[in-house]
Amino acid sequence: MSFLRIKGLYKHFGEVAAVNGIDLEVNEGEFFTLLGSSGCGKTTTLRMVGGLEKPDRGEILLGDRCIVSQSKGIFIKPEKRDMGMVFQSYALWPHMTVFENVAYPLKVRGVKRAQVAEKVLPALELVGLAGYEDRPVPALSGGQQQRVALARALVFSPSVLLLDEPLSNLDARLREEMRRELKDLQRRVGVTVLFVTHDQMEALSLSDRIAIMNHGQLEQVGSPEDVYYRPSTSFARDFLGRIFALSGRIASVSEQGLVVELRDAGGAALRVRREGLPSSAMLKRAVGQQVMVAIRPEQIAVWPSPPDGQDNVVAATLKSSQFLGDHYEYTVGIGGESRVIGSALRPPPAGQQIFLELKEEEITLWPTA
Amino acid sequence: MAETNAAAVKMRSGAWSGSLNGGTLLMALLIGAMGFYVVYPLLLILVNSFNIATIAEPPVYGLQAWRDAFSEPGIWRALWNSVRIGIVLQVVALPMGILISWLLARTNVPFAAGFEFCFWISFILPNLATTFGWMLLLDPHTGLINSWLKTMPFLGGLNFDIYSFPGIIWTHVVANGISTKVMLMTPAFRRMDARMEEASRMSGANTWRTMVRITVPMMTPIIVVVFLLSVIRIFSSFETELLLGVPWGFYVYSTKIVDLARQEPPLVNQAAALGSVILLFLVAFIPMQRRLIARRQFTTVTGQFKPKLVDLGAWKYPATVFLGLVVFLLDVVPVLSVLGGSFMVRFGFFNLPRTWTLEYWTMAINDPRIIMALKNTLIVAVSAGLVGAFIFSLIAYVLVRTKLPGRGILDSICWLPSAIPGVLAGLGLLWLFLGTPVFRPFYGTLFLLVIASVLGGVTLSTQILKANFVQLGSELEEASRMHGAGFWRTYFKIVLPLMAQTMILIGVIKFMFAAQHASAIILLATSDTRTLSLLALDQVAAGYREVASITVILIMAMTLGLALIARSFGLKVGIRAE
Repeated sequence: MSFLRIKGLYKHFGEVAAVNGIDLEVNEGEFFTLLGSSGCGKTTTLRMVGGLEKPDRGEILLGDRCIVSQSKGIFIKPEKRDMGMVFQSYALWPHMTVFENVAYPLKVRGVKRAQVAEKVLPALELVGLAGYEDRPVPALSGGQQQRVALARALVFSPSVLLLDEPLSNLDARLREEMRRELKDLQRRVGVTVLFVTHDQMEALSLSDRIAIMNHGQLEQVGSPEDVYYRPSTSFARDFLGRIFALSGRIASVSEQGLVVELRDAGGAALRVRREGLPSSAMLKRAVGQQVMVAIRPEQIAVWPSPPDGQDNVVAATLKSSQFLGDHYEYTVGIGGESRVIGSALRPPPAGQQIFLELKEEEITLWPTA
Repeated sequence: MAETNAAAVKMRSGAWSGSLNGGTLLMALLIGAMGFYVVYPLLLILVNSFNIATIAEPPVYGLQAWRDAFSEPGIWRALWNSVRIGIVLQVVALPMGILISWLLARTNVPFAAGFEFCFWISFILPNLATTFGWMLLLDPHTGLINSWLKTMPFLGGLNFDIYSFPGIIWTHVVANGISTKVMLMTPAFRRMDARMEEASRMSGANTWRTMVRITVPMMTPIIVVVFLLSVIRIFSSFETELLLGVPWGFYVYSTKIVDLARQEPPLVNQAAALGSVILLFLVAFIPMQRRLIARRQFTTVTGQFKPKLVDLGAWKYPATVFLGLVVFLLDVVPVLSVLGGSFMVRFGFFNLPRTWTLEYWTMAINDPRIIMALKNTLIVAVSAGLVGAFIFSLIAYVLVRTKLPGRGILDSICWLPSAIPGVLAGLGLLWLFLGTPVFRPFYGTLFLLVIASVLGGVTLSTQILKANFVQLGSELEEASRMHGAGFWRTYFKIVLPLMAQTMILIGVIKFMFAAQHASAIILLATSDTRTLSLLALDQVAAGYREVASITVILIMAMTLGLALIARSFGLKVGIRAE
């Protein structure tokens, strides 16, 4: 059974629907991410889970316990929800030392003085801040403050850890480092995490599952691979990374999938498997329908000559290339249009023909208007 | 203005590069004028505390004044009384101020904006008005509340006496004790990052605990500033003690000085000795005060998220009632009381054959003393407003925009008056004018009162102006300089028009200060140059309460009325701690 359930959640700020009907189930011990651009309602959703905002409609359940329900008139105050939270600004109290900040949740729970230290020190050790107990908080670097905030949120073994863009205030290198540490930490502690971010890389690398949000609604929920390679909505497809797209029409339909005849590239035909097809509501799967074939650019295999025995190959002209250190960026022309792809293959001279292999199981198909 | 014109000529000929000489001259003039005006009178007090001759005679130096002053137990008692009032007042008013600021800024208490406005009204209400209003209610013999209590079945034995130590404390609390703190602290509470509180809630602490453990400690810097500012002002308090203490022989620092200086023969030298003690003490405080106010808050300002207010739940209702009651005591009671006092035949006597009357108003309108006091007040207040706005804008401009040497000195001089009790400043000016033969003819003229009134609120005015100049950005003026205008042309054509709003605000503040404060001018005025506030004090002392309430109403109408008009034009007359 899922651990944290959100049912039909609505929240309006004035005229604006910040959260417009959300249903979610988060499993115990899961690292669950709400991903979306700013203003999509992800932080509001997180704050409603934490009890910092009251929903206009809907309910949230933690295990069997209903923590907020508009219709039943239930609202458990934030301090009674037993959740830890790390804020974007960390919200460390500047009038307290590191130790006092982390000890605070224990003290308000009436933990005895001796046991407070027994819990705070391991928590600080967990986040790699052993020995920093007596430091005043403002004297710490951003990364260190981040760790204190984490320790404070974890020290009382909360049932859920809420993370509100905790990495966004760090510089790029520190962010990568903290990302690895955060994932490692969650694995060791085993706490259920609800994570809010606008950064696709963070979401993809950290999460067990991701919910992509847009305009207060869920676009897609699934594993990082799912949402990245098999986006179910055009928003999810475009938000998560670059795509390589070709237009065409459906030439034939069969049990295994269908064949698309490309408009450019000399009328080459591509086979597309079933799982690459979006829901039937969007695609009627009728012969003759105009469609768009999409694939993540890095999934394309580049060949200097037509590969033997491989289907789904498209010929293209190499217009130019750039060396980017770990790979090359190719600008290729297909039927008069330019597209950018990446490849480790050392590029042939510009103007030469190359061959792009789009594996049938990696292609997704989208109806065009 | 002759000297500034000379400076202007020099400035223009110098243009950009040569402006250093003109600028230095200007700076020298400003420092000289302000020094003569602010520092020299205080030095005179210090020097003359060692003078045993009277003011107009050639000085004879000796320690007699000090010996006399401090062998009299009354002086020590007066000093101790000031300290005692200050301490008890802070103990009562500071926690109240913190609680109210928190309620107004951090919680969803209803009508928060309306309540805040009421505290502003209370802040604007002259001390004299509040004190007088409560006098009418809590006089042990004729006080309205006491008369009511006598008719009550079980409370008959209860009788409040406002002419007492608790009475003075009470009056201070309801006059400015609470409202000043609310005015200073509410904006700071409002700017605090709400996530600090949310983090506490998420850690398991409830609303009350979060307030006590997180919000208030985070606000400690501003609370300390407010506290210290109040401490520095302990010795400035005057009108309330004059009305409520002197009748039963209870003196504080400021009333004692006035008492000494007004005795027959006047003991001005003793007054100077007493003045010097606190002067030295306060001067030591000024650098600290300056640092406190100049320091920026590091923790509280973040602008990422709309501040989320604490939901009080059912506590909302008692909180509203509490605030309503406080506001009632601070605003409604004194105002109604003073109004009632002017229209009732005998204040509080509702069962007389004739209860209400316009007799006193008719009397007042035809009373040449009131008319003259009104005229005097308007002349003094308007002049102070105009002169103050102009001079202090120039000083602030020079401090912010130029790199002239001596800015530190000028700035320090501007900080001085804020800590100096009005009575002391008045005493210094008295010496300056009576002791310097050239100036002696000015004694007994309104000019002297204008001079003293301009001094009031110097620190506040320059601080506000400086902040506005900093905000304005220097490009607009630089553009004027680059297009060929000199310092003065830029100042008059670019700076002043852009600063018009702030200048009006300063003028309004100066006007209000001049119209309501008695302490700075009480030693300088004669019976011909009495202002309304001085007249009111004399009327109360003589027992003409009904007429006094009319005088107080006039002061109230002028100050509060002007403040309300200014506010309706978007100028918020007030104080800031940062």
